[in-house]
Amino acid sequence: MSTKTPAAPAASQELARKAPRSSKSKKFFRKVEPYIWIAPSIILMAIFIVTPIVKVFQLSMSKVTRAGLVKGYNNFENFSKVLKSPTFALVLKNTIVWTIAVVVISTVLGFMLALVLNNKFRGRKVARAIVVFPWATTLVIQASAWNFIINKDYGTLNTLLMKIGLISAPVNWTPTPGAYFAWEIACGIFVTIPFVTFCVLSGLQSIDASYYEAATVDGAGYFQKLFSITLPLVKSSLTVATVLNIIYVFNSFPIIWTMTKGDPANHTDTLVTYLYKLAFYNGKQGEASAVSVIGFLILLVCASVYMIYTLRKGDDDL
Amino acid sequence: MKKFLATLLALVMVLSLAACGGDKGGETTPPPADTGSTDAQTPPAGSGDKIDISVIAAEYGQNTKEWWAGFQNDFNGSHDGINLNVEVVSWNDIYTVVNTRISNNDAPDILNIDVFADYVADDLLLPAQDYVSDETYAKFYDAFLEQSNIDGTIWAIPDLASARAMYYNKGILEAAGAEVPTTWDELKDVCAKIKAYDSSIYPWGIDMTTDEGQAAFAYYIWNNGSDFTDASGNWTLNADANVEAIEYAISLVKDGYTNSDPATETRYALQDLFGAGKLAMVIGPNSIPTYIADNYAKANTPEEEQIDFAFAAIPTNGGNASVSAGVMDRFMCFDNGHSDEKLEAIKEFFDFFYEDTRYSDWVLMEGFLPATSAGGEIVAASDPDMAPWVDIVGSCKFYPTAKAEWANVKQGVINVEQQALMGGNVQELLDELQAEIEAEAAG
Repeated sequence: MSTKTPAAPAASQELARKAPRSSKSKKFFRKVEPYIWIAPSIILMAIFIVTPIVKVFQLSMSKVTRAGLVKGYNNFENFSKVLKSPTFALVLKNTIVWTIAVVVISTVLGFMLALVLNNKFRGRKVARAIVVFPWATTLVIQASAWNFIINKDYGTLNTLLMKIGLISAPVNWTPTPGAYFAWEIACGIFVTIPFVTFCVLSGLQSIDASYYEAATVDGAGYFQKLFSITLPLVKSSLTVATVLNIIYVFNSFPIIWTMTKGDPANHTDTLVTYLYKLAFYNGKQGEASAVSVIGFLILLVCASVYMIYTLRKGDDDL
Repeated sequence: MKKFLATLLALVMVLSLAACGGDKGGETTPPPADTGSTDAQTPPAGSGDKIDISVIAAEYGQNTKEWWAGFQNDFNGSHDGINLNVEVVSWNDIYTVVNTRISNNDAPDILNIDVFADYVADDLLLPAQDYVSDETYAKFYDAFLEQSNIDGTIWAIPDLASARAMYYNKGILEAAGAEVPTTWDELKDVCAKIKAYDSSIYPWGIDMTTDEGQAAFAYYIWNNGSDFTDASGNWTLNADANVEAIEYAISLVKDGYTNSDPATETRYALQDLFGAGKLAMVIGPNSIPTYIADNYAKANTPEEEQIDFAFAAIPTNGGNASVSAGVMDRFMCFDNGHSDEKLEAIKEFFDFFYEDTRYSDWVLMEGFLPATSAGGEIVAASDPDMAPWVDIVGSCKFYPTAKAEWANVKQGVINVEQQALMGGNVQELLDELQAEIEAEAAG
């Protein structure tokens, strides 16, 4: 040890001399560092998100041949054709019903399931793992399974009900387009619940148990605790889950495509399946892009309303 | 040091990403990722002065990729100056892949697909006689070549076909005391008998889905003596005979003689029901026996549960002769500014492909029907079950795919059928469609 001590003052002097320069470069590096870290994401987003969006906007205002050649701009002709078509109104209505029904019902059920899974009980881990299953399975497989369940001729639902004696002959569970759409919504809800459950569950787990203890001491009942403690404290998780859900469900394609392809006569189409048909079955890529832009704008409005609402809320809290 | 390393790492990541998105300096763009496409075989690196021929081929079934891989090897092995590269793409993706390639000025040299009129409309194709030798050209059935005729020019050549007929379950018809129907009236009688015999069996199968609803439209109008167009090629979608035909088809559904949901049950669902003995009669392609046999083999179905079936002509109305519906796919050559040498190489490709034995092997590979008379003879001789089909395919009718409005007509008639299933008026729906298509044709 003693041999090293004389060197120490010399080293610190040198460090002191270098300090201004190195702290400057450190400062600069600290400023730049975050940008370097996010650069890959920004580049990826530019390539895979911004470029296609710009391209779709371009196509929506272009004349595109069936073979895919772009033959110059045609202003808003594609939009006017789409908006004039009576099918578009039907499809838009379907999209709104689909989004609201799936998001609202899956949020309520997901929230309830999260409350259950937040309790301590035997096999909780297994139960949580089971809830993840629908989320972890491909949507096409899920939708095919649902189709198989409700099929009149060889569906498992009819087989089950006949075996337990509830029905004597196979029932057609999809007699009308509305009934088919309802089954698609049910499938949508089933696959969305896990996402909501896990968002809410993460919120629930961050709530300090002392709030509940204090409320219990004050004589609060289950529902009082639920509405006065739980709900306000998981609100932020729930809001995030809902907004993401609206976007996912609005843009969801596989369930409807696998179960009905939007048939019969567009009665189960949503904007996404409709634009796919327009582009790849009817060869109208310009009009399909216009539908895509309309969907994008609808979601943009929804997201903006949410952002304005939450930002304002944040200001109030301050 | 750690920060330096981190910065370096980030830089490498950014650069590698930039490299991924970079241009390849005029090299041929590789097939788009995640489209389900697969090269039959990667071309040998550095093909030197060889003439490159790129082919995009549709994937007909499980054997297609392997067949093309073997073909590519054989062709490249026997043609030193040519480098053939075949990309086999699934039917789900092929339109997207081709359109993307076209819009990026990277059209393949040769394309194997069903439609062609849209490419002709954009002046993208070469006339068939520019890239097919006279010897090969003479092999095709004339009726098949005519399907690719626009304004007097043949733009594509047929690669294979399939034909449709009515399949019936012998056991069910016998048990119900019914004969094989040949007319629409007889068909309804047979349906009623089957229904009376066992109400859990569907007498008749109808597919009016987005997948193939146009086929149902064709079966009924063609067998009512009508057509999509008149002799001059003008659309006649709302002709009285067409309205009558579709009303008849819908009446079969309304009377409870068909599968429960024709708007969502595809041909494959019907084939499954037929194979399971739950559907007595269905119109289907020549590949049904193979399809059902494969299903039985996969499910290890015991022989006593397998159905005994046969096929007959599609029932007709008004004394008209029965018409089988044909479906035909094609080869076409894109006008990529080919040199004379390249066109000669492409001719060699087609000569090689349509060599009689190789061609019959191609057709039999997925159980299709040949488009050349020599191929027909070989196929008929090698498989007695195929012989009657070879006769049928030579005389069946095809969709008017040479007309530019066909894509809209196809979706339009499916929409009419589905609206009619929900109670829409067939006459009004077809009038609307006719007006819409006429407006489109007028530009």
